[in-house]
Amino acid sequence: MSATAPTAHDGQPAAPPSEPRYVGLATRAIGFALDAAVINVVAIVTALGVSLILSILHLPSSLHGFLTGLAGAAYVVWAVGYFVAFWSGTGQTPGARVMQIRVLTAGGTVAGPRRALLRCAGTLLAALPLFAGFVPILFDARRRGLQDRLSGTVVVEARQPSIASARRARMRARYEEAKVGASPTELGQALRNDDTARGLYERQV
Amino acid sequence: MSSTDRSSTTARLLSPLTNIGGRVAAGTLRPLAGVAGIAAGVGIGLERRAVERVLDSDELERVLNATVNSAPVQSALVQATQSEAVDRLVDGLFESGVVDRLMDRLLDSGALDRFLVRLLSSEGLWRLIDEIAASPAVTAAISQQGLSFADQVGEEMRGRSRRADDWVERAARRLIHRQPTVGPTQPQPGT
Repeated sequence: MSATAPTAHDGQPAAPPSEPRYVGLATRAIGFALDAAVINVVAIVTALGVSLILSILHLPSSLHGFLTGLAGAAYVVWAVGYFVAFWSGTGQTPGARVMQIRVLTAGGTVAGPRRALLRCAGTLLAALPLFAGFVPILFDARRRGLQDRLSGTVVVEARQPSIASARRARMRARYEEAKVGASPTELGQALRNDDTARGLYERQV
Repeated sequence: MSSTDRSSTTARLLSPLTNIGGRVAAGTLRPLAGVAGIAAGVGIGLERRAVERVLDSDELERVLNATVNSAPVQSALVQATQSEAVDRLVDGLFESGVVDRLMDRLLDSGALDRFLVRLLSSEGLWRLIDEIAASPAVTAAISQQGLSFADQVGEEMRGRSRRADDWVERAARRLIHRQPTVGPTQPQPGT
């Protein structure tokens, strides 16, 4: 989310800039818990599949330690890659999407991969001393924890339409677009490929 | 002799004559009455046959169709249904309790229960329900409803978590006797 600068328009005083609301500890913890659930469910399902395959290969027992280490490394890579990819991609992990929050740089842009990786390491550092690294979130004016200070990021609210409301808006737009100059039959044909649009259309017609 | 005695003597003398006259008249009119009865019977038979012939023919159906489909009749029917008299009639039926009694009779007679039992046991009803349940409009409405429910749950969870953010901060600040700081609320470029 980028900060919007106030601009004069048609001689009218500029509207105040949209002020992002920095997100606190509880919301971030819920978002992180959702991400952790996603990461672990995927990891468990993958581990079960790999174990099943390995069980039919009759590998020597000397390889068990190596494979366990490899699985641990894969888990770390997967977890770190998950956060880095989402933070540097859209600034939102799936958990953050649910909680409608976003990780941005202090300048209001989406973090790059290196900054995202640094934030990931900062999160680990913040968690190591009995989560003491997250305490500054409670007192900082911009609600920044250790990982935010290290990587120069902030976590802000990102109000966005939900999946349902976005779908409703899309269907309504399609309906309005198709309605112009179209007969009911043409309108039905234009919307027939979309079930929701057809439901909307049938309700309105 | 009084006048009363004189009139009774006259009546006794005329009585045989009036009896003879009545019998003669009855004998004269009896054949005519028989003929009139036969004519009436024949007329009724003819009328009945004519009615049956009309009912059996297609002409009656054609006449009825033409009558019902004619514009004046239709407009008259429409006007009749829209008239205040019909409204008053309907109001009267409801106010007199006829409709209530009819409903009571219908429910008490068990006809409705039998109808429902037969309806539920019919294959057609379940085919209809399957068709409706599988229709795109219904499935779209259900999925939309599910998404809306998820939306509501998410919105509620977000609202509570935001309030929890503020509550935890206030509690932490009270714990260390520190006043809330008012800092920049917007990301500062280049910081």
